[in-house]
Amino acid sequence: MRVACCRVPNLPLAAALRAHPELAGAPLAIASGPDARAEVVAVSPEAERRGVRRHATIAHARSVCGALRVRVASPSLEEAARQALLDAALGSAPRAELAPRLSGAWGAEACAFVDATGVEALHVSETGFASALVARAAKLGLPACAAVASGRAVARLAARRTAAGEVHVLTPRKERAFLAALPLEIFDPDDATLESLTRFGVRSTRDLLRLPRRALATRLGPRVLELIALARGALREMPFAVAPEGRLAEAADLEFAVDRIEPLVFVLGGLLSRLLARLEARRLACSALQLRLTLETGGRDARRVGLAAPTLDRRVLVRLLTQALESRPPAAAVESAALEAEGSPLRAGQLDLFRPAGPAPDALGRVVAGLQALCGEGRIGSPAVADDHRPERFEITSPAASLAGKVRESGTARETPRRAGMTREPRAAHETPRLATRALRPPVAAQVRLRGRHPVQVQSAVAHGAVVHAAGPWRTTGGWWSPETRWAYDHFDILTSDGTLSRLRFDHVHRTWHIDAVYD
Amino acid sequence: MPHPPRPAATRAVEDLLRDLGPRLRRGGVPEAPAGHFATGIAGIDHLLGGGFPRGRLSEIAGAPSSGRTSLALALLAGATRAGETCAVVDAADGFDPRAAASAGVALPRVLWVRAPGLRKSLLASERVLEAEGFGLLLLNATGHEAPSADFLRLARKAAGTQTALVALSLERTAGTAAAVALEMEPARAHFTGTPPLLEAVEIVAHLVRHRSAPTGRSVRVRLHAP
Repeated sequence: MRVACCRVPNLPLAAALRAHPELAGAPLAIASGPDARAEVVAVSPEAERRGVRRHATIAHARSVCGALRVRVASPSLEEAARQALLDAALGSAPRAELAPRLSGAWGAEACAFVDATGVEALHVSETGFASALVARAAKLGLPACAAVASGRAVARLAARRTAAGEVHVLTPRKERAFLAALPLEIFDPDDATLESLTRFGVRSTRDLLRLPRRALATRLGPRVLELIALARGALREMPFAVAPEGRLAEAADLEFAVDRIEPLVFVLGGLLSRLLARLEARRLACSALQLRLTLETGGRDARRVGLAAPTLDRRVLVRLLTQALESRPPAAAVESAALEAEGSPLRAGQLDLFRPAGPAPDALGRVVAGLQALCGEGRIGSPAVADDHRPERFEITSPAASLAGKVRESGTARETPRRAGMTREPRAAHETPRLATRALRPPVAAQVRLRGRHPVQVQSAVAHGAVVHAAGPWRTTGGWWSPETRWAYDHFDILTSDGTLSRLRFDHVHRTWHIDAVYD
Repeated sequence: MPHPPRPAATRAVEDLLRDLGPRLRRGGVPEAPAGHFATGIAGIDHLLGGGFPRGRLSEIAGAPSSGRTSLALALLAGATRAGETCAVVDAADGFDPRAAASAGVALPRVLWVRAPGLRKSLLASERVLEAEGFGLLLLNATGHEAPSADFLRLARKAAGTQTALVALSLERTAGTAAAVALEMEPARAHFTGTPPLLEAVEIVAHLVRHRSAPTGRSVRVRLHAP
């Protein structure tokens, strides 16, 4: 098996620069805390050139470099950056996983392993594949390097010997020689083992492998056996885990609590941009958003923003988020925000030989999501007749599947359109044209004068005057088992003297008259 | 002297040119609309010279109970049965799925946009036209008076597409932006029997504007109650 390791050497710095790209090129230090005595955990090359070193205090670092910019290390940003690295890996190959986080000297690195078996068929060579992997990570704002070897451990060691932006391919024949020349520190042994070996004068893999294995194990314990197996490149490895589902999250801890919607939306826009780049890397589109806010008062605010169709349109998503926040503003100032996107595969178009092509699925998704942002949730979709006798009831379903041309209408004759450009002559379902109704939502209140049980005079905003003709009543009832759901209507078809033909309704429950539709 | 035998490919091309010659045109954006959508109501289709044109704005205006909705649903039924994806931008929120299904509309092929207000319905119509691929767009602006400049902009958007844009209104507002304009008028309602039942409605459609057919003609249509 061939494995590629994509490695980000300085994750805290990369995570900070990914969230604040405006700091690129500036002397930057990542601190363990906000106060002056906090420790510097990562420095940018520019800061390092000016004398700022890791493990110094912030106060000392500022005294060395006056222009130093300081950011507090953010676990949420680092986790998002690690997940973004996995997205870059999953965008390159279907089997990939993140390496567990390490502590100690290599604690700042983040690695993702990718199954690189047979990638030559797609990328010409393993070097091409590794370069594509690095480019994909760079697109997500992560400066990475990559190495390809016969196993995870060797690939990771090779990646540690590779500079950012470069790639290293180890053929199986060269692996033994590569490992032999490595210093022991690169294997990240525990401090006690490393100290003992150094005391013995063992500094490289070559020195270690010359020593008798059993005697070393007797003196230094079983941990050294693992180190020897690693140095031989013979560590047993597990198969790749199944890729995680398409739920991607980004978060931001705000330096100051935000109490207005506009700056909050600005922050969320940044999170959204990064989420969309990750979704795009995995060839997914956003089908729903989950927003979680931590409030200054200690409370939490969570809300879900559903989408009528998956989209990658940032403008549409920002508008939907803004609408969601404006409709129900947070109860207090916001200290941190987390945004989670549900990814779903972008739909591929399947053309029909006998039907018009219709809108492309991705274009339709964009339009539907845009229309939803414009008109509001629940106002866009395919209409459907509700399973209910009340005439005002209807359903509006998600248009995603139906309009993409996947639905075959049952009971409808399939008609083969003639050549493009020619007049279409639809085969009528009904031989004679039908009179249709136009619904009035909400129904218009009416004042009705009766003679016996029949209306003779109607006054309303829609129809008014003497009733010239009336048919009915047609009684419909339902929900009788509960006082809350009970309804009973008498409908009349009436023609009033102003020429309007309408449907008049008497509500027996509320004892009111309404016009709920116009024959038009 | 006998002619040398022609290659099979040359013969095939010549046969095709003979068969399809009158239908072949140079490439590019077509000047004329590439087809119509018929309503299935013979009298009105004849009046319109085939139906409502693609790539053009058409307008159906008329008072309540003049048959505008019935005509629009007949048009929508024909388009959806032909497999077209259609959109209804409903500023008046008057689309009745039950009535549409009864008229033969394939509801799963319809995108219903319940746009609140005229401004949003015009914006929604523009978005639908930009998507390309919709066969028919019904804009129900009943009860709203849109400025003719807005209709002009919509007509220009529709001109680059294969979408037939049909606007419904109480009175004509699209003006010269509309390629086709029909004015509808209620004529007579038929209540028959004892007790009386609504059996049918007669309406009159006047063709007041058409870019390629004579105007000033009318047709009387009988619509049967559901």
